[in-house]
Amino acid sequence: MQIFNDYKDHVDFLTIYIREAHPTDEWQMKANEKDKDDVCYAQPKTLDQRIVIANDFTQRFKFPLPFGVDEMNNAANDAYAAWPERLYIIDESGRISYKGGNGPFKYDPKEVRAWLAQHYGEVKHAQTAPEKKS
Amino acid sequence: MNRLLFWTTVSIGGLLVLAFVALSLMAGGPKDAIEMVRFALPHMRLGTLKVGDRAPDARLVALDGTTRFHLRERINDRTGGRPLVLVFGSFT
Repeated sequence: MQIFNDYKDHVDFLTIYIREAHPTDEWQMKANEKDKDDVCYAQPKTLDQRIVIANDFTQRFKFPLPFGVDEMNNAANDAYAAWPERLYIIDESGRISYKGGNGPFKYDPKEVRAWLAQHYGEVKHAQTAPEKKS
Repeated sequence: MNRLLFWTTVSIGGLLVLAFVALSLMAGGPKDAIEMVRFALPHMRLGTLKVGDRAPDARLVALDGTTRFHLRERINDRTGGRPLVLVFGSFT
């Protein structure tokens, strides 16, 4: 989110919610359990279920980035090979300018920040929240 | 011949055990390793998009659950020439 705060005057951002990575009915992580982060959702079977989870996420974290939800045919996910998480930058001409690696091991917001710094200079506003994967 | 078969089996078995241990360490435990292979690996792809490729379009749904929009609208129309950072992910 810090990258968004720092560079929203220069570039646009769009978060795309895709199929869950660690739902309760697949590979649930201990960190997500009720006594910890309490993020316990089954893999959505309908678009309405996806919308509910996406809204819970944006409201719980007061997530400021523009948001879109992938349809149940997973078209965006398939087109960008995005699961479980991934970052891209599309330049002014509509072409891929940066393609990040698949999360969690190759998901690296620092690479996005470096791209932005290269194009718009270093920007670092006062931190409003701990920097998470954004 | 029997000895060759024995050692081949032992070697393959040992490699499989090592791979499972490594996967368990990476995933967080034996159960996580099994679930990673079962649920995560089938969905994880490198993809064929390359830097310089035209960004593919896809239809998305807004948080209100009814408004549809195309990714391409955000690339051309809305941005007015600004780059677009795409952040793919989920809650869990």
